[in-house]
Amino acid sequence: MFGYVVRRIAATIPVMALVALFVFSLLYIAPGDPAAVIAGDQATPADVERIRQSLGLDRPFLIRFGEWSWHIVHGDLGTSIFTNLPVTTMIAQRIEPTLSLMAITLVFAVLIAVPAGVLASWKAGSLIDRAIMGFAVVGFSMPVFVVGYLLAYCFALQLAWLPVQGYTPLSAGVQPWFKNLILPATALGCVYIALIARTTRAAMLEVLQQDYIRAARAKGMGEAAILFIHALKNASVPVATVIGIGVALLIGGVVITETVYNIPGVGRLVVDAISKRDYPIIQGVILVFSAVYVIINLLVDLSYTLIDPRIRY
Amino acid sequence: MTEASAFVEREIAPPPARARLGSWRYVKRHPSLVAGAVILGCFATLALIAPWLPGDPLTMTPSNRLLAPGRDFPFGTDALGRDVLARTIHGARVSLAVGFIVAGASVLIGLAIGLLAGAIRRADAPLMRLMDALMAIPAILLAIALISLTRASVTTVIIAITVPEIPRVVRLVRSVVLTVREQPYVEAAIAGGARLPKIILRHILPSTIPPLIVQATYICASAILTEATLSFLGAGSPPEIPSWGNMIAASRLYLARAPWTIFYPGIALALVVLAVNLLGDGLRDRLDPRLARRM
Repeated sequence: MFGYVVRRIAATIPVMALVALFVFSLLYIAPGDPAAVIAGDQATPADVERIRQSLGLDRPFLIRFGEWSWHIVHGDLGTSIFTNLPVTTMIAQRIEPTLSLMAITLVFAVLIAVPAGVLASWKAGSLIDRAIMGFAVVGFSMPVFVVGYLLAYCFALQLAWLPVQGYTPLSAGVQPWFKNLILPATALGCVYIALIARTTRAAMLEVLQQDYIRAARAKGMGEAAILFIHALKNASVPVATVIGIGVALLIGGVVITETVYNIPGVGRLVVDAISKRDYPIIQGVILVFSAVYVIINLLVDLSYTLIDPRIRY
Repeated sequence: MTEASAFVEREIAPPPARARLGSWRYVKRHPSLVAGAVILGCFATLALIAPWLPGDPLTMTPSNRLLAPGRDFPFGTDALGRDVLARTIHGARVSLAVGFIVAGASVLIGLAIGLLAGAIRRADAPLMRLMDALMAIPAILLAIALISLTRASVTTVIIAITVPEIPRVVRLVRSVVLTVREQPYVEAAIAGGARLPKIILRHILPSTIPPLIVQATYICASAILTEATLSFLGAGSPPEIPSWGNMIAASRLYLARAPWTIFYPGIALALVVLAVNLLGDGLRDRLDPRLARRM
């Protein structure tokens, strides 16, 4: 087991190294002079030269990549071209809203989607099942920003139950913080809920056909206990997997949701950076998000042995 | 068919009568396939004939700013006095073109890489690690990064959306190849002295096609969503081309005053993606019974 954990952690290193290489070389894939592209149309030759030097574009690719990786390993993601602040500082200032939004969405999505999937599999083929699966298909197809504006229009503008946009830090109290996050989390969670509910249902259907489920029924066990203790526990490996993979959806969605609801998080930071072509920020945010994704999936992989004692490494 | 095989077929239980395409029974048996195909067909037709329809998506009439839906403008007008109905119809062109091209391109590229990874053992590990790395980068951020360094054009958008979709196809193809490779008929072909390219193309490739068709529809749906998202974030189709994403982005500030400027393109977008997803579910049920039971 310990050996497996070490090997599994070691396996993420080449993946992250490739991600880093890819993110770094994006700058060189661009046609033409990247320094000129970043500087924009109104830049003077001096500006272009300054950007070229600050990004190290005047030096050889491999040397520059080595330096850049060395800095990253030491927690330095570079300096923003426009604000001259370290990228790590800028991300740290914006991380709270993003983490709050992702955490709330994750918790609520799992709390809604897993029971919905269990219910659908239990009543497979019934009206409830079809309604839940129908919602799942629609949830897959609704773009995050369309759901976002729809919710904002109904619940904030028309009914005035919740704030239209913005973010209140957690330090200002849990209730205002939470109120501001309900609509964004719902919009962001739709796709995620659909994905988890579908997978839960599929995994449960397979487990519910097993002999031990019939045995549990035969000995007179209650349906709730059968479903949630015997069946769900054995169906939870694919569910955990999809929760981990789905974090990619959350990360992509956070960028959009923060734009719709004007939340000053990391997503806004990167969208603003696109229009200014502030490349170190774009690189830094992509690296951080990719690392989050890789780490979460590492944890999911390692959790298999806890969920299912039959899995041994 | 020879007489002997015809005889055997009659002896075994008669095969279930196949519902004829277009018959009512076909609709009842494959509701999502038919619903998806019909909705998608309507949008595709509108997109094709858009230039000949009345209504101009580009003319700005300042005196007609933010008109509510009415007789002259069934979907109202936007902040620049442009016809929302005409823009919504024209928006289907970019969306569907991007969806189809991305689906085709990512399936072809992913198929080639997946066959290589599955058939040549030495290429497997490095190719799959590369795909893992590509998959670790969130698709939208990867696309944003690719676009942010080039001039905004539909071609860049297509490339930027295709790249993150490739690893998923590669994984699917590779998993099929790994299963098929162990089948007796492939062993027989190897024993018969067939060369590697022939084995791949004649004996392995055909098994990958049904799941790939299903995967292609899902990629199409996700590409349409990603294009709209990128345009919404200002990193997609250039503003002079009407696209559902940039229509919604341009109307962001008018949610309270003119919700129709956001909701009509939003509904169109959701409907098209829903249609493609339904089509995918229907195709999956028809082509891949193993998956159909599981989902």
